[in-house]
Amino acid sequence: MIEVKGLAKRFAAPVHKERRAHARDPREHDGWFHAVRDVSFQCAPGEVLGLLGPNGAGKTTTLRILSTALRPDAGVATINGLDILATPLVARQRIGFLSGSTGLYGRLSARENVEYFGRLHNMAPDHLKRRCDLLFDQLQMNEFAHKRADHLSTGMRQKCAIARTVIHEPQVVILDEPTTGLDVMSAKILLDFIASYKALGIPLIFSTHHLHEVEKLCDRVCIINHGKTAFSGTLADFRHLGRSDDLYDAFVSVINEDQ
Amino acid sequence: MWTVYFKELLELVRDKKTFIFTVLVPIVAMPLIFGGLGYLTSTMFKKSEHAELTYAVFGKEHAPQLSERFAREKGFREVAVSDPALIKQAIDQEKIKFALVIPPGFEESLDRHRQVAVALHYNNAVAVDLTRKRVTAVIDAHNGALREAALSALNMSKAELRYALNPIKLEEHSTAGNRERMGAVVGGFLPYILLMVCLMAAMYPAIDLGAGEKERGTLETLLLAPIPRTQLVLAKFLVLFTVGLTSALLMVASMGVVLSLFGDALGGQVTQMVRAMGLLDLFMVALMLVPTAAIFAAILLSISIYAKSYKEAAGMISPLMMLILVPIVVAMLPGVELNWFWSMVPLTNVSLAMKELVKGTMDYRMFFVILLSTTLIAGLLLAWCRWWFTREEVLFRN
Repeated sequence: MIEVKGLAKRFAAPVHKERRAHARDPREHDGWFHAVRDVSFQCAPGEVLGLLGPNGAGKTTTLRILSTALRPDAGVATINGLDILATPLVARQRIGFLSGSTGLYGRLSARENVEYFGRLHNMAPDHLKRRCDLLFDQLQMNEFAHKRADHLSTGMRQKCAIARTVIHEPQVVILDEPTTGLDVMSAKILLDFIASYKALGIPLIFSTHHLHEVEKLCDRVCIINHGKTAFSGTLADFRHLGRSDDLYDAFVSVINEDQ
Repeated sequence: MWTVYFKELLELVRDKKTFIFTVLVPIVAMPLIFGGLGYLTSTMFKKSEHAELTYAVFGKEHAPQLSERFAREKGFREVAVSDPALIKQAIDQEKIKFALVIPPGFEESLDRHRQVAVALHYNNAVAVDLTRKRVTAVIDAHNGALREAALSALNMSKAELRYALNPIKLEEHSTAGNRERMGAVVGGFLPYILLMVCLMAAMYPAIDLGAGEKERGTLETLLLAPIPRTQLVLAKFLVLFTVGLTSALLMVASMGVVLSLFGDALGGQVTQMVRAMGLLDLFMVALMLVPTAAIFAAILLSISIYAKSYKEAAGMISPLMMLILVPIVVAMLPGVELNWFWSMVPLTNVSLAMKELVKGTMDYRMFFVILLSTTLIAGLLLAWCRWWFTREEVLFRN
């Protein structure tokens, strides 16, 4: 269970000479850029939550806060009742995080990349070995396990990144635009992975721009616009908003109403 | 923490570029460059000292004795030039190296015990003026002969003669041993090379460890691993520290081996100096490198983690190299010696201390003060680097 309430995060705004061009963004004032102002959502075990929103809406910032990389200025975030802001080190053991821009260490082999993160999570050597064997079998990675990451194809790297994300058996999985820039087959690897984790009863959040992914996998939808939650509810509720069954219409109407 | 440390080292070992910079450059390239340069300089000097000097004399008939002396001199060869007006042209065309113009009435003036001037034409736009040195030597010899002849006409005893020639003679007694003299020369540029190698070796890994992780997109994942930031910074810092120090120490060792094997070819005095330097002094030079490598590691890591990409990091580190050079070059200036003032200037003090150690004239109280202050600075920089690593503005600049 993931619960997020009233999350807010501001950054020191860069000083621009052309102030007028930036003054249009309602989130910038007093020398601060309020990237996230009020974001709330929840995701129950076995549910997949799709995080939608235009570019620059605050999705990445929200997910970074949830993954403990950034500290919010206000709000509460809990994972199975554990306050991740109070005990980030403990929370990290329970979170699997993957973003579209995540890379691998090119000079380490696929297996070494995955094992490295297992060791960082303090996994006992024999446990780590068993977990690795299992994941490499599941994701069919054995044939390139000992190749250096530099020499892997995009699809292989994708599998490797997935194995790395879940090596420590996280209780929740957070994916930040995982399919952005991937070809259809590489994206499919990821979507299959999301489906398999849903079946395991693990709550999963992912942000995306592809509405068909939402349609296929998500139970709940949260739309962020200008740093605020513009919609949060089930996929069925979301569908009704557009007065048709098309998610595209629903999304556009939510963003338009918000402005 | 050690997980991170060993993983980073493993990655570096697998990288050819780092390997070349860390191991090959200090062990092979540096001694080769400096040894080769030293050998070249000494042979070129010897060669030009014995090289044939072509010259022309005008007014030979006015001074037969002097001309004969030049003709007899080894390594001088007379070339005929028709007209004194063509001297400049002949020198420019490298037909002759210099020309002497002897005025009429040369011998008569000398017989009347009057000074005469002989004009020397040559091109003195060179760094080391060997032509003038060699011509002066010949003239000096002739002057000596004339002087003696003039004075012996006065029927003086040998002792009186010496008095007349040089009333006061300066006797030089050097208090410096062989090691100290050579140490002043070698110790001047040794810290420069050592510190540069230390910095250069750590530079590429530094970019890889900070900006590289950002560019590859691995930093975010690493920050989400359940290890405290302090340990993360410490691990990365230790990697750079290890690389920089290893590289510098390898160079000391390799230089030592090269000098003890081929030292005789480069000049016996250097070899003697190296032999006079005990293991203790070498150890102390190495000890000086320890906090210095730590300073470099902390600075490089801070810059690298701030940069968004390899390119930006490289761009920011190049001016730093220049900046770090300044205090090291200051130590090579004449008049800058190790005293309490200079022992307070970071990096300059380390360079000076290394020089004193090579010379064998180290004030050991000062050594410990420098060691302590440098360690302190390294510690402060590391603490700053750690704080720097916790800032979201630095880690997520994009």
